[in-house]
Amino acid sequence: MSDTINVTLDGKITQANSGETILDVAKKNNIEIPTLCHDPRLKPFTSCYVCVVEVQGLRGLQPSCSTKVTEGMNIETNNDKVRKGRKTALDLMLSNHYADCTAPCIQTCPAGVDIQGYISHIDKGQYRDAVALIKETNPLPAICGRICVRPCEVGCRRNQLDEGAPVGIDYLKRFASDWDLESDDKYVPEIQPSTGKKIAIIGAGPGGLSAAFFLQKLGHQADIFEAAPAAGGWLRYGIPEYRLPNDILQKEVDNITEIGANIFYNKKFGDNLKYKDIKNDYDATILTIGSQKGTLIGCEGDDAENVFSGIDFLKDMEVSGKPFDFTGKKVAVVGGGNTAMDCCRTSIRCGSTEVYVIYRRTEKEMPANPIEIHESKIEGVQYKLLTNPIRVNKDEEGKVKSVTCLEMELGEPDASGRRRPVPISGSEFDLEVDYILAAIGQKTIVDFLADINGSTDEGELKINRWGDIEANPDTLQTGINSVFAAGDGVTGPSTVIAAIAQAKTAAYSCNQFLNNHEIVAPKNEFLSKKDNFKLQDSSVFKGQYPVQLREEMPTLDPDNRINFNEVELGYTNEEVAIHEAQRCLECGCVKVFNCDLKDYSTEYGVEQNKYAGEYNEYKVDFRHPFIEIDNNKCILCSRCIRICKEVVGADALGLVNRGFHTYVAPSMADRLQDSTCESCGLCISTCPTGALSENVLFKPGPIKTDKVVTICNYCSVGCEIVLNHKSGFVMKVSGGEGIVNPDGNICKYPKFGFNYLNDNVRITKPLLKVKGGFKEISFKKAYDIITEKITQVKPDDNAFFAGARLTNEEMYLIQKLARAGAKTNNVTSLHYINRGDGYTFNSRSNVPFDQIEGASKIYLLGSEINEDNAVAGFMINNAQFNNNIPVELITIHENSSMERKVDNILKVSSYYHFIKAVNYYLVANNFHNAMYIGDNCEAYEEYRNSVMQENFGELVELSGVPTMDTVVEFAKSYNNEMNAVIVFSEKEISANASYELFNLSMITGKLGKTSNGLIALKDKNNSQGLFDMGICPKLGVGTQPIDDPKLIKLMKKKWKVDELPSTINESQFINLEEGKLKNLFIFGEDPMGTAKNPVRIAGWISVSDFVMVQDSFMTKTAKRADIILPASFPIESGGSFTNTQKVIQEFEPKFNSKVNRLSYQQLIDLLKKLGVKQKINIEDIRMEAMSLLSTAKENKLKFVYTNTDNQHRIFEYGCDSIDKYFEDAFESAFEE
Amino acid sequence: MENTKIIVGLGSCGIAAGAKKVYDKFLSIQESGNLSFDLQKTSCIGMCYREPLVEVIDSNGSYMYGEIDENKASEIIEEHILKNTPIVDYVVKADTFKTDDNAFIDDQVKITLRNCGYIDPENIDEYEARDGYRAIKKIAGHQVSRLDVIQTIIDSGLRGRGGGGFPTGLKWKFANNNKAQEKYIICNADEGDPGAFMDRSVLEGDPHSVLEGMIIGAYAIEATGGVIYCRAEYPLAIVRLQIAIEQARKKGYLGNNILGIHGFNFDIYIKEGAGAFVCGEETALIASIEGERGMPRKRPPFPAASGLWKQPTNINNVETLANIPWIIINGAAEYAKYGTDRSKGTKVFALVGKIARSGLAEVPMGMSIRDVIFKIGGGIQNNKKFKAVQMGGPSGGCIPEHLLDTIVDYDSVNATGAIMGSGGMVVMDEDTCMINVAKFFLDFTEKESCGKCTFCRIGTKRMLEILTRITEGKGKEGDIEKLEELSYQIKDSSLCGLGQTAPNPVLTTIKYFRHEYEAHIHDKRCPAKVCTSLLTFEIIPDKCTGCTICAVKCPTDAIDGARKEVHFIREEDCIQCGTCFAKCRFDAIKVF
Repeated sequence: MSDTINVTLDGKITQANSGETILDVAKKNNIEIPTLCHDPRLKPFTSCYVCVVEVQGLRGLQPSCSTKVTEGMNIETNNDKVRKGRKTALDLMLSNHYADCTAPCIQTCPAGVDIQGYISHIDKGQYRDAVALIKETNPLPAICGRICVRPCEVGCRRNQLDEGAPVGIDYLKRFASDWDLESDDKYVPEIQPSTGKKIAIIGAGPGGLSAAFFLQKLGHQADIFEAAPAAGGWLRYGIPEYRLPNDILQKEVDNITEIGANIFYNKKFGDNLKYKDIKNDYDATILTIGSQKGTLIGCEGDDAENVFSGIDFLKDMEVSGKPFDFTGKKVAVVGGGNTAMDCCRTSIRCGSTEVYVIYRRTEKEMPANPIEIHESKIEGVQYKLLTNPIRVNKDEEGKVKSVTCLEMELGEPDASGRRRPVPISGSEFDLEVDYILAAIGQKTIVDFLADINGSTDEGELKINRWGDIEANPDTLQTGINSVFAAGDGVTGPSTVIAAIAQAKTAAYSCNQFLNNHEIVAPKNEFLSKKDNFKLQDSSVFKGQYPVQLREEMPTLDPDNRINFNEVELGYTNEEVAIHEAQRCLECGCVKVFNCDLKDYSTEYGVEQNKYAGEYNEYKVDFRHPFIEIDNNKCILCSRCIRICKEVVGADALGLVNRGFHTYVAPSMADRLQDSTCESCGLCISTCPTGALSENVLFKPGPIKTDKVVTICNYCSVGCEIVLNHKSGFVMKVSGGEGIVNPDGNICKYPKFGFNYLNDNVRITKPLLKVKGGFKEISFKKAYDIITEKITQVKPDDNAFFAGARLTNEEMYLIQKLARAGAKTNNVTSLHYINRGDGYTFNSRSNVPFDQIEGASKIYLLGSEINEDNAVAGFMINNAQFNNNIPVELITIHENSSMERKVDNILKVSSYYHFIKAVNYYLVANNFHNAMYIGDNCEAYEEYRNSVMQENFGELVELSGVPTMDTVVEFAKSYNNEMNAVIVFSEKEISANASYELFNLSMITGKLGKTSNGLIALKDKNNSQGLFDMGICPKLGVGTQPIDDPKLIKLMKKKWKVDELPSTINESQFINLEEGKLKNLFIFGEDPMGTAKNPVRIAGWISVSDFVMVQDSFMTKTAKRADIILPASFPIESGGSFTNTQKVIQEFEPKFNSKVNRLSYQQLIDLLKKLGVKQKINIEDIRMEAMSLLSTAKENKLKFVYTNTDNQHRIFEYGCDSIDKYFEDAFESAFEE
Repeated sequence: MENTKIIVGLGSCGIAAGAKKVYDKFLSIQESGNLSFDLQKTSCIGMCYREPLVEVIDSNGSYMYGEIDENKASEIIEEHILKNTPIVDYVVKADTFKTDDNAFIDDQVKITLRNCGYIDPENIDEYEARDGYRAIKKIAGHQVSRLDVIQTIIDSGLRGRGGGGFPTGLKWKFANNNKAQEKYIICNADEGDPGAFMDRSVLEGDPHSVLEGMIIGAYAIEATGGVIYCRAEYPLAIVRLQIAIEQARKKGYLGNNILGIHGFNFDIYIKEGAGAFVCGEETALIASIEGERGMPRKRPPFPAASGLWKQPTNINNVETLANIPWIIINGAAEYAKYGTDRSKGTKVFALVGKIARSGLAEVPMGMSIRDVIFKIGGGIQNNKKFKAVQMGGPSGGCIPEHLLDTIVDYDSVNATGAIMGSGGMVVMDEDTCMINVAKFFLDFTEKESCGKCTFCRIGTKRMLEILTRITEGKGKEGDIEKLEELSYQIKDSSLCGLGQTAPNPVLTTIKYFRHEYEAHIHDKRCPAKVCTSLLTFEIIPDKCTGCTICAVKCPTDAIDGARKEVHFIREEDCIQCGTCFAKCRFDAIKVF
């Protein structure tokens, strides 16, 4: 069908197939074309116009997603016109994108710390992860958690709510960091392999320490030279200990030296440390020298004795280790910043009872943290606001006697936006004081200039007009190529967090320099901002969120502060921190790390305001328990609508309105849950922006997650899934590209059923029932009890039950434990108990899923496929949509979930009798496919003879169809259908009905042909494994008869045992019903919790002497057990599942187990205890099971006559607690 | 008196002007039994400016009376019917003498509208009496092959009258080439341009011609089903189509083995559109028929290959189809006699706006726009000066005075930046602000955008916002360039015609009336004195009588003055609403 054609792509001639789109061809040629509205799972749509290309000879630009290539086409994918078109499309989209990419806290933080992310970690108790995240941008969190000026909290939108107080961002940071500092397993960053490059850093203040941290991480050697005898710079010498204890400072310094940075003390640059030497020894230099010198008041008389600069005062104390004695002295502190606060509060601690802060504006204009002002007042500091010192008056000795001040009033705003203080004439007054501390500014000392410039010819280090080091503002490279500078020395006195931010930039640039790369600032990433549309004031937020008051920071009793003990004590416990974390409004978008719209906007330099105008503002819809709809972020690509129609077939979403006011909404319903939505979440998976996202109960971050690929452990389809987790906490599940689901489709079960993985109420230790309660015991003790119980009774008094969610390896070991350990064949699965043999071979000769699209007609005969095996259902819906394959539903349900999606519905009252009637008709009229049967089948004649004994009229009547003609018509049309696929599920179809379905597809000669025959859908992820692994009294591994001498011989050899059980109690069900079993060993099943009639199961348990349960949670069955073994999850142990199509899918252990011994290891332990040797490696176990398989060819297909229906389901949810866990959670989520 | 016929024009336009009352008047007179005359209905003859129209046909011939109300109807009975004295003053058209209105008629060539106003559209016999269904009979009788039918249409040079101008015969040929069990022919009756109503007129006045056109088309392409996609806002057209379809079925023009052509099974049903302009676009129209939201998709595949229900589908506009029977009967050459080299036949124009004689005019291709407006349309109302004519509706553009001699043919009109479109001609006089015009049309397309493509959905919105701010005096430096830039980008990157042509009114007004944009932006002045935000209102002392009406009506109390004394407007409070200007009975308000 497809011919090869030649096209020119960006000047290169390439071959393509006719029918391919330009986008397809570009992709094959590794040319990336951006697109937002295209999803390979869906038909081309063309709405975003981001994928445009220019095609020679065609007017305008062509959307590559839907333009098919033609012979000789000449395509340009990236010229100016194309780029301009893409940019304009994005400009326009973003002009109506009332949304924030990141939260204002992150944006206001000079270092860009991912605050929303670390709050999400704290919400989950992941303090180490929180610290790791903070340290990506800020290596000094415990320090900043105490003394940061917190621009983030000014930006916090909690300020706009009723309680008017920001989230305690800084205290949360402190909490997590203190936790980490105390922890045995504190966070240590990953260090890249050594590069051999060395960098000299001048100054061990916050900038120098940070630069060292970032460079060490990159594999460079950072050596810090510090003039003082200890590290920290002003952190140590300027900030008093009651705010920042030295031990905290030292711990964070140590964290940096522990990753390899060196600090050399008492090395003053330009003095006993010459640039010449640095230049010889190091590849680059970073100057983080700080602003070292305090300035005086600058008025007449400030040379008086006892007038100090504030920081010199503070430093002096730190250096000398002795506080000043201000007892009985009056102290005036001039200034309104944090240094002024440090000075006045320190003065109090030095014994002064009269401390004044003199500040020329009002309290509102004070740059100091409000909390500092507040605390200082508590401590007794007095404020002389709107006051300016104009003269220091000395006594005879030249000491300060008093200070003359002027009262001020506020005039017009100045350049900084603050109102300028204006003196009130004649308001002069004198304030008697003994000391004056001037906290009004600092200067950078650059006395090393001559040394450095005299020792290099690579350029010149220059000083700007404020006396600070001149450096490129974007890269912080100085006039000398190998010299970078950061912090106060560049900016003049600023904040710690600003110094850290600069250090990161300087380190980044320095790294580029060391790698011989061009030195460029990081590309500005595009950020959509709600503020670009309107001011985010309280009118936007009031009433939108419940009030939650800010947690108070416990402080030292004000009466006990004449010391330097830390005043703020930190949050009392985790609960307080987590509660405070929950105040975060999550302003930033969860999609920020993988948003196509944002990435393209960055790439194309989008300007959000370029086409500013009217914008649509929608209320975010959180009403659906799993799916959050934020139309503000929607770009109307309609992928959600289309995937819901084309793949899911639910058609639950549609477009409303026209033109600019078009938006996506649930079809024919106000709330999504009231529409035909199936909650599969495929809409989320296809959304290129954050318009559709998971509505989760925990704080989603967003944080960058780790991804692990595994196999879904819900239904039998066997989809590959990706767990997006952080430290084992699963944040989100997405589709993998598996054998079964190569395009990544998954259904609601894995998508929203992952909470059990995060559940903290797991059983992690063996538990023994003592006086009605459970007591933790050791594994050894547990094994002793269990093996004693096994050996105390006759072998066949024991029975073993394995659940259908277990791994093949676990199942194999369970039957081995029964047979080789306990010497009994009493091993089965409650999942299949008393349901007949018919399911045993259901998976034989099935139509592979990928042949569904080749069917000419699909019959859903007893299958609520979108409900129970949804991904297989998606394949059918998609085939129906793309290839117009008719789908007929044969159902006993009054309201089948599939009714809306099929072309034809046939209601029956008994599947069994209906199929039987069809078979009767075909057989009776000799419509059977004799040639096929002759070649492939046996026992047809016997079958025919038996069937012919039955009464057609009766069968028709029992099948519940209106007339015989209905059966005849169905039989004929099915028989005549070229490629008819019957899909049935074990949830709906009895074992004997499935026998008859096999008979039907053999009679008609369809079974086993391409796109023709049967698809059996099993219930649980490893229902098939139960058969394959020998979880059956009469069948061993590979469904071989357990009494087959060849098998017995092989088992003895492989298992190294002399004896195996010889009796076969076929029906464990009868044993249970008759109370014949003394000991029950139940692995991964919850019969009590899932039984249709729990009283019956309670009876089974109560007549037995001893019940052992292995499970992850305290299920109803576990509660009744005498002993419980803690089960690991498959993702913790690794192993394999066999899906309903007999595909064995192995998966690795990816999570650390919360259980010391994994489930299968416990089985090995028990085997060992019973004298059976067992290899311990999981691959070896798997290979051992395989080695028992028969090498004989599969038998011919066999007709099996059945004479009654046998629908005996005793349990729901596949007798599985995880399934029930999900279903219960799902149901309750939708309850009003 | 015996054979006297009174025919009342009962098209939507006539009914709106009061024709139903006139008809009822005649009916009551007839039913009173004193007088005997035939009372008949017809539809619009095109002289909308003279509605209601009543035609009296007596032994002397036809007399068309214009602007008839119930009183005049009585007069007609009194004078014309009873006394056999036609009332010459009311006559707009007569067989025996000329009137001023002959200028409207004489230069027209009626092919599409050949029956409109001449037959009772609800009576198939009247259609048949005027050669109706003779074309399909001719095909059946002479066993004209499908390809020959198609060749005839190709030879006639007929091009799609919906606006695209694609050669109809060729379109049929493509549909014929694509073999399938099922094929469809769709009549696009989703006429939605502001100021265009020729399709409605044809559907109301001559529905059978459209059906016959479809039947011939169905024969030519082997269509098995036909759909007329008609907007629900045309209730009368839908009723008349339903009647016509019923009648055609009864007579065997629809159904199985039509006119004995073996295997020619064809029927037509009507799909009512919900009035979305975009559904005039082929693929959106098909989506709408299929029950989907009316949104276009990328072509190819063209409907001829994969259309309705993914089957080969041919879509023709009403006017196109109405021409088909005529061409079959009269031959391709006869049709091709009219028109220019590449645009053959006639074209119906809807003349509206500030034109003296508004209505429908069918003219041969090649006539100059000047002739259409000034000869047929009688020029501008109230002796005002012509400024521009908007052709092609919201997808079209404005043609200024210096291009008035452009002839009507697809290529010539396109060259001006406007398009032929479906044939709307909105005539504007000197009092029209061209930015306001552009805004009007863009407002239409912006609202009618289906919302699918980014450029159309948001781009037109942004353009409209810029135009709006210009008319409000808030235009910024660079706005014209921004409009142009957006225009080109929207044209380049939109899926369907709606988006691709939406900027045309803006581009043509910028092209021909840039100075008006500049005046708005730079001088904060609207030369046509339309944009009230840009106007200054002042009271002319000499004319003010102190009647106080302006002060009373002023919504912001910006006018002071004692009774019987000259008033004045406080500029700082004036919001330029124009109320004073409108209310002043003494022309005492000056606007500048």
